[in-house]
Amino acid sequence: MGKYGNQMISSRIGHGLRQLLGDSSGIMAFIGLLLLLFFIFMAIFAPFISPYSPVKPSGAPLLSPQWGHLMGTNNLGYDVFSRFIWGSRMAIIIAIIATSIAAIVGIPTGLFVGYVGGVTDRIVTMIMDSVYTFPGLILAIAIAAMLGPGVLNISLSIAVVYIPTYYRVIRSQVSTIKSELYVEGARSIGAKDMTIIGKYILPNVLPSTIVVLSMNIADAVMTEAGLSFLGLGIAPPVPDWGYDLAKGQQFLLQNDWWMVVFPGLAIILIVLGFSMFAEGLDEYLNPNIGEKR
Amino acid sequence: MKTYILTRILLTIPMVLIILTIIFFVLRILPGNPVLAMLGPKAPPEVVKSMEHQMGLDKPIIVQYGDYLADIGRGNFGTSAYTSVPVIQELMQKFPATLELTIFAMAIAVLIGIFFGTYAAYHFGGPLDVAARVYSIFVYSFPVFWFGIMLQLVFGVWFHWLPVSGRSAPFMIPNHIYTGLYVIDSILNLQWGVLADTLRHLVLPSVALGVVISSIFVRMVRSNVLLSLSSQYVVASRARGVKEKRVLFKHALKNAMAPILTIMGLEFALLLAGAVLTETTFSWPGIGNYLVTRIGYRDFPAIQGAIVFFALFVAIVSILVDIINAWVDPRVRY
Repeated sequence: MGKYGNQMISSRIGHGLRQLLGDSSGIMAFIGLLLLLFFIFMAIFAPFISPYSPVKPSGAPLLSPQWGHLMGTNNLGYDVFSRFIWGSRMAIIIAIIATSIAAIVGIPTGLFVGYVGGVTDRIVTMIMDSVYTFPGLILAIAIAAMLGPGVLNISLSIAVVYIPTYYRVIRSQVSTIKSELYVEGARSIGAKDMTIIGKYILPNVLPSTIVVLSMNIADAVMTEAGLSFLGLGIAPPVPDWGYDLAKGQQFLLQNDWWMVVFPGLAIILIVLGFSMFAEGLDEYLNPNIGEKR
Repeated sequence: MKTYILTRILLTIPMVLIILTIIFFVLRILPGNPVLAMLGPKAPPEVVKSMEHQMGLDKPIIVQYGDYLADIGRGNFGTSAYTSVPVIQELMQKFPATLELTIFAMAIAVLIGIFFGTYAAYHFGGPLDVAARVYSIFVYSFPVFWFGIMLQLVFGVWFHWLPVSGRSAPFMIPNHIYTGLYVIDSILNLQWGVLADTLRHLVLPSVALGVVISSIFVRMVRSNVLLSLSSQYVVASRARGVKEKRVLFKHALKNAMAPILTIMGLEFALLLAGAVLTETTFSWPGIGNYLVTRIGYRDFPAIQGAIVFFALFVAIVSILVDIINAWVDPRVRY
């Protein structure tokens, strides 16, 4: 089980990779980073590198992959390759917003509750655990269905699912750190609670937070793809891999495979990229608390 | 054992209440008014008012909350706004399909996990071990719907071996429905053709879901068996001349099973989330598909009912898994 919770897909992938590559975590982080840079590059420079507009017909509908349309065209004649490129933009933007919201809520809650302890700790932890054990995607579906489409709404639906992940990681670390000698020492010379949390505890939990953050981005990409596959993502015709997959499936029976294969590969590669990067980062930032296998 | 079961159930109650409360607030307090969501923004105010009254939405929120919990307690999930059928009736009709899919998917995941994981651990460092590790990395990064579509493409479209959607061919339904699980019902009815058809429809969705979930089992089994292979009792049984296969499956695997059972319980939530996607991919008539379809129709009571049902289902399964775990491994009870 990953030390950041077994529900995180990316954490599991990362652990598997670590098993595979042994101690060569540098290679892993490097490959992850390359994949990430590849997608971030596509997201930023989409207008310049995409051969056609992703939301306008650029050829006959349902062309198979060929010169001029490397990944073919969809049923409306949109270039699949252009949508592949532009799709990275939506995936990364939503994942980053969702992750930021989850972190902004989850981290302070974990810090304060872990520090205060007692009844507050028990109650908040029970609430967070209830959310954590509930199937995340189904909760996100409920929220997305109520909020309706839109980048911010989807991000919010995904964020709610991951708040407990931050909370759990931070809280468990804080409750160990707060009984450390240096924290006791700070308290004995009369440091205020806020000072203790800000100056003595926060710097110690920050490294693992950064790792969770980048793992969380991979998970958010996966959840976003699921939501938009179910028709709960951003409104069409905005390029989105999950949505394109759902649309492409309608033409599967006539063997038009290119509309489903490529968006799926994009999701897999970006999830692998973030997971590998996160795992490598973990090894680098937290060498002593990593689970060695 | 009785005390353990009782404590376990009592501990689950507050968790269930919390998640039910969260669901209530998500569906009530969030900006989207359920009535407006159902009728659309241009509905005349009188219609909205009468609908709100009919659904009890004009009462104070605390009263609504009390009614909501009481209704769930009584098994009353309201009436579908789309079909006018009680939601619980629709849910019970869809539930066997979801149960059948999840049971087969879990079985596939566990089987792959046990065999692949055990042999990988046995041949530690060998090609099979490397294969198992590569498998668990890549398979887990597959979105289940994408993998499902790929299976449909290969086995349905290219080879025409297996059906790509639905639970059964037209008229291939068991005559008498006893359990709602078509595999069992068709056997009870001695309808072998129906059984074959049911199994053929089950293959792709349960393989899609099972394989994606299996990666964590492969990894868990592998590391647990590795651990117990190096233990004293394995060395002792080898010294006694016990056959290797027996050492592996009887001694090493058996002791590695307890943590695997715990993981199974935790995996279940993930399996259900995956089931929603798998059911949509394969037009499988279960609760996940029901939820997604009814979201499209803005059928608010059905949406709420399905989500609450999932919450209760997860809670019950987690209790069951813990009880089985305590029964298999007495250490858990203390």
